[in-house]
Amino acid sequence: MYTWVMDRAIIVDSLVKNFEVAQKEPGLMGSFKSLISPKKKIVHALKNISFTVQPGELVGFIGPNGAGKTTTLKTLSGLLYPTGGFVEVLEHNPWDRNPEFLKEISLVMGQKNQLWWDLPAIETFELNRAIYDIPTRIYNENLKELVDLLGIGKLLNTPVRKLSLGQRMRMELTAALLHKPKILFLDEPTIGLDIIAQQKIRDFIYDYNVRYGATILLTSHNMDDLVNLARRVIIINDGHILYDGAFEELISKYAKEKLIKARLSNENNISDLGSIGKIKKLSFPEVVIAVPRSAAAMAASELLQNFPVDDLTIEETPIEEVIRKAFKSEYKK
Amino acid sequence: MRKYFQIFKISFEEEFAYRLNFILWRFRNVLQILFTYFLWSTVYADPTKQIFGYDRGGILTYVFGIIVVRALVLSARAMDISNDIATGDLSNYLIKPINYFKYWFSRDLASKALNFSFAIVEFILLFILLKPPFFLQTNFPILLAFLVSIILAILIYSLILFLISSIPFWIPEIGWGSHFLVTVVIVEALSGSIFPINIFPQLLQSIILATPFPYLIYFPVEVYLGNVTGWALVGGLMTAAAWVGILWFLLKIIWQKGLKAYQAFGR
Repeated sequence: MYTWVMDRAIIVDSLVKNFEVAQKEPGLMGSFKSLISPKKKIVHALKNISFTVQPGELVGFIGPNGAGKTTTLKTLSGLLYPTGGFVEVLEHNPWDRNPEFLKEISLVMGQKNQLWWDLPAIETFELNRAIYDIPTRIYNENLKELVDLLGIGKLLNTPVRKLSLGQRMRMELTAALLHKPKILFLDEPTIGLDIIAQQKIRDFIYDYNVRYGATILLTSHNMDDLVNLARRVIIINDGHILYDGAFEELISKYAKEKLIKARLSNENNISDLGSIGKIKKLSFPEVVIAVPRSAAAMAASELLQNFPVDDLTIEETPIEEVIRKAFKSEYKK
Repeated sequence: MRKYFQIFKISFEEEFAYRLNFILWRFRNVLQILFTYFLWSTVYADPTKQIFGYDRGGILTYVFGIIVVRALVLSARAMDISNDIATGDLSNYLIKPINYFKYWFSRDLASKALNFSFAIVEFILLFILLKPPFFLQTNFPILLAFLVSIILAILIYSLILFLISSIPFWIPEIGWGSHFLVTVVIVEALSGSIFPINIFPQLLQSIILATPFPYLIYFPVEVYLGNVTGWALVGGLMTAAAWVGILWFLLKIIWQKGLKAYQAFGR
């Protein structure tokens, strides 16, 4: 088909996905109405999405709820039938659900579990060993490795329902990775976890990507996940791709300013601070001034010379704000 | 094959995690058998009287046969498929290299194995307690035909469950309503698990015999009793086999369409 096909783990071209959703007016009367004449609404979840991913890439998907992130992952893993467009993952059409394809992928959803609720996690692992035809020696090696990396050795024989959310998530990851998938789809892997558990999962994902050269697609609302993991981000909003590229470029494209945060020792000349740059916040002794990227060093030295500064830092615009800006620029169009 | 054996094994273990639930379920079965037993025992109080072509020994063997055949045919877990579809848990299976129906069939077999072993114990206990006249079939060809009819019955019941459980692809909120209607009301009434089908008028009998339901309980028990022989036996087995084919074909079509409508709910 294409000569460069082998370089791509994932090809998505003009992907469209529509859902039919039943509508119901509020209240009891609404329920009766929907019983007699059900109303269906077409929801356009993905409107013409195109991108490719190379083997070994770690790509983060950002976007508000309902933007189409999860729909994209579900289509790539063969769960959803595309309304239109072309999708190819590891040279397979995901929808065919060829066993050869399924053995190479895994999908972990932060809010869905595959573990058997009333049995210890080790039982699910054994079952997956049989399902994925993993030879015993390799299974034992993989299991030991994952158990060590995730620190779950003592919990293997505890019924899943008695595990905490963070412990369960680590078990979920183990169950999903025993067959060493080449492509890993992670949907909100850190949702609902405390900061330490989040960090453990994040370290693990990073490590897994580097160690096995696995291709990882990850969606998250948690900016820390993306800052720490994704070298490339795809911003999706309302079924469109707004931005697809390196994380650093996203910042230089949308974050045209840097922030100077200073701590003042007294209130002399405080009214002249506006000459340095745009004052974002002023509540003595703290002041935050936004200045153009290129002029940040100049502005800082000017501030140090002319004002009673105790302490000073230059920071990047917070990533949340960068993304908010990216979305805003879309709405203006 | 090994993966499905593993599924069989883990399902077995899971049933044990719900011990109390399981014991209550068996208790319900015993009550139902007792109820049916005393009903027919009273109707056939006179051992020489024949009603609907059964004598006392025949009808009570029928009731006792139900214990074992019910455990083999009607023990299943596949009704949970509808829940998998409605909640999106189906996704967990679709992304794995397994056949979803074989998965559930393995789980059903585990449920049958467990229920069957309990049914044997109940059978022996009730037998000692009630001392009914019981007809022991010794004719080998008939026993073989009985075995075939049981296998067909198991396949038909699993296929019916798979089909009924597919409705949530289009109506995710259907829940238990459809199952109650089909597996509780229709199956119980038309399969012969409460009374034999030949107590119905002739016309109604013919109609019921054209549906898949009597091949679940009534037909296998009748085969065991030796009441169906010759061409009637061959015809019955062929009808049951035809139903397996028809239901299988329907299931294939419905799942092809259903999976395209599937929305992988739950996020």
